[in-house]
Amino acid sequence: MAEKYDAIVVGAGLGGLSAATMLARKGLAVALLERHNVPGGYATSFVRGRYEFEVALHELSGIGPPEKRGALFRYLEYLGVADRVDFLHVPHLYRTVLPDLDLTLPVGREPFTDTVCGAFPHEERGIRRFLERVFKLGRDFGRVIRARGKVNPALLPLQYRHLFRYIPAVWGDVLDRDVTDPAARAVLSQYWGYVGMAPSECSFLFFAVTLAAYVLRGPAFPAGRSQALSSAFLATFEELGGVARMNCGVRKIATRDGRVTGVITDHGDELTAPWIVSNADPMTTCRDLIGTDRVPAGFFTSLRSSEIAPSTVNVYLGIAQPPDELGLTDHELFINADTDFDRHARGMRTLNDPEAIAVTSYNAVYPDISPPGTSMVVLTALGYGEPWYAVPPDEYVDTKNRIGESMIRMTEKVCPGLRERAEVVEVSTPITNMRYAGAAGGSIYGFSQPPRDNMIWRMPNRGPLDGLYFAGAWTRPGGGFEPSMMSGQMAAGAILGQRARAEGGR
Amino acid sequence: MPVELVSWLQDISAHLRVARRRKQLRQPGQGEDYTRDHYAGLVPRVVEPIHPTSMVLRIIEIIQETPSTRTLRFRRTDGPLPPFRPGQYVNLYVEIGGVRTSRPYSISSAPGADLLDLTVRAKPGGFVSPYLLERVGEGHELESSGPAGRFYHEPLIDGDDLVFLAGGSGVTPFASVIRDAVRRERPLSIHLIHGSRVPGDVIFGDELARLAGASDSLRYTPVISEPPDGFDGATGFLDAALLGELLGDVSGRTFYLCGPNAMLDLCLGALAELGVPPWKIRRELYGPPDDPPAQPGWPADLEVSATVTVAVEGGPSFEAPVAEPLINSLERHGVVVPALCRSGECGACRTRLLEGRVFMPEGTGIRESDERFGYVHACASYPLEDVKIRL
Repeated sequence: MAEKYDAIVVGAGLGGLSAATMLARKGLAVALLERHNVPGGYATSFVRGRYEFEVALHELSGIGPPEKRGALFRYLEYLGVADRVDFLHVPHLYRTVLPDLDLTLPVGREPFTDTVCGAFPHEERGIRRFLERVFKLGRDFGRVIRARGKVNPALLPLQYRHLFRYIPAVWGDVLDRDVTDPAARAVLSQYWGYVGMAPSECSFLFFAVTLAAYVLRGPAFPAGRSQALSSAFLATFEELGGVARMNCGVRKIATRDGRVTGVITDHGDELTAPWIVSNADPMTTCRDLIGTDRVPAGFFTSLRSSEIAPSTVNVYLGIAQPPDELGLTDHELFINADTDFDRHARGMRTLNDPEAIAVTSYNAVYPDISPPGTSMVVLTALGYGEPWYAVPPDEYVDTKNRIGESMIRMTEKVCPGLRERAEVVEVSTPITNMRYAGAAGGSIYGFSQPPRDNMIWRMPNRGPLDGLYFAGAWTRPGGGFEPSMMSGQMAAGAILGQRARAEGGR
Repeated sequence: MPVELVSWLQDISAHLRVARRRKQLRQPGQGEDYTRDHYAGLVPRVVEPIHPTSMVLRIIEIIQETPSTRTLRFRRTDGPLPPFRPGQYVNLYVEIGGVRTSRPYSISSAPGADLLDLTVRAKPGGFVSPYLLERVGEGHELESSGPAGRFYHEPLIDGDDLVFLAGGSGVTPFASVIRDAVRRERPLSIHLIHGSRVPGDVIFGDELARLAGASDSLRYTPVISEPPDGFDGATGFLDAALLGELLGDVSGRTFYLCGPNAMLDLCLGALAELGVPPWKIRRELYGPPDDPPAQPGWPADLEVSATVTVAVEGGPSFEAPVAEPLINSLERHGVVVPALCRSGECGACRTRLLEGRVFMPEGTGIRESDERFGYVHACASYPLEDVKIRL
């Protein structure tokens, strides 16, 4: 006997959690099914010895300080999730280390602009002009989002002239027009790892909105790590009457006459619902869960122009020494071999030693994240999943340790003695990401975000079969923590709209 | 106005360029073809050879190591053996008298062969070890987890000067490390100190003595706590006096401890006394504490022999002793909880506690948020009162 629901959400990553909670908030009977034993997808943590490591989150956008809350915080507040999480504020965006430069960038439009200009006074005019474009775009985009549904696409080019201009633009192209010093361009492009794409390829819109979000409201980090955010979603969802099952993978999404009708779990249970939100990647969803022959071929044709985004290699270090002794006083430190970020990004397609890493020292804003007198330090390098597929299983550990070793060495140049008192280390790879989150390629941002796949032109939330919707990084608005949560809101919103129309038509 | 118009046209043409690029990439032979076989079942196909979720293991040989210890030699029948790091374990699933349970066992063989050895010692009063030692024979098939665990030499931080302290069957992960180090000629200096009760109990004694005899970088010291008359080797327990004498200078060395919890406590005290910094010590998990009520934090007023009611949402309710891990009483009543380390750390048995309180020993690897949102690790949870759980 099948269990009946109004909606089934496949996968409890942030996109799935967000969609499920939003639908439950609107009174639907929702089942949320997750293969892993803990909700969150990448928004999770793991314990080694006396350390509980943050898996994925570096900086969370969209929260903002109490007097200036961002869109994500307001959404979490609406759902009832915000009450269950405390957010810590990160005072600096990042410290960037280049061969001849070591600069820490503060939060706030003026301080940020002044700091970049101060480091490159000969470029001041260009830098100000460029940042003006960035912030103006961020503002316009925010307005369009807030007016969602009320903006006539035909009038957008008139009403939002600036936004319209930059929708097809590439970050590097715009930057090159205004700023010529390679070091200044590097400092301004330092978040390239957060958008997962070379500056010379990434959508200007996506990069600008991301940078503006961090600069204007400052980054945040949830107390209890991102797992606390995921668990807060789940607790809210359950309080709203939602049914969540962990250790419950979905084997099949059932369809009839071009419409999804329900799912069959790995345990063989059958659940039916007219609406299904898939938080799994579109390939897994449409090929493995639905079946290629049941999906209109046009869907795969339209996916051809999308490319799977990179994954990560992370080195998680638990060190029996306080962070200031290690020279780690900033939350986020980027170490770059040089200013050629495009070359660093090309390296993501190889298993070569990374040339750019992020070093996150969580204790800086979250002293209690590890026991007194210790540090939790995570080194991150971006890299695609594909090269890892060809690594023979018996060379896997040596390969990841060779890369991990190079990342530790790179960090030791800035923080000598980093591992002298290390007591725990763990290296994760794209294979690890695939194992625990199930995402194709271990991608952390879904599809890459060149202009043709930016938040405007990305794969829509509405899937190729009636009743099927996508949530997560692969769909609109894009990759990253805040966008993934917003995607769940968008998928839920689309379903609620369809339901309302169906009711109205009756 | 004409300038404005030109700029307009430029913007529109930029939009059209992106649209054309998209269209072009969507032509046959262009872009990425996600209908290729490559993308069918991609994630399991890539992950399973390295991290199989489960394995079917067939016993191909049984080797009597000591009167109370046997090595079960397995071959995997449902695929090639995955790589593992010497020191890792597998969790072995068994069904005994209708009860499905599991126990983790360190792999004692070295990686690289298509065989996997698990060396099992009879545990007095044990539930699973008597079954594995007496009731299974060659040809028998058992299911296990993939290799797991973090007790291995980690070149990123461990250095190359290693001291292994083993008690009883705690020598099994070290056997794997040493066999691998010898076979691959790894540049490691290893000193294994292995405590056993009597000479006849020493597991792998002859082989380890032979390997140490043939190598400059491997030292092996069996230590006997109840030596027979005329025994001429090292005797006693692995305390500070003995370790100090055997090891000399401890600086720069990394210590690995595996054995019964009482032995671990003794060794930890000894190492502290010898001035080994805590960050140079790795310890293997060794199951739940032998005597939970003796753990710090156990409520003083709770009768050790008391029982409480355990209710599973949508499942059975039953009486369970307070001094037994929840996972065991659940399994005895037919409720199978996913499990791996069964020592509190890995979190595979993460379970929602809806009502009631449980005791979790210090050092249980519970997430901060799990504690806050009411989750427990069933393998390290002792019900202090009537509890209700959700799987």
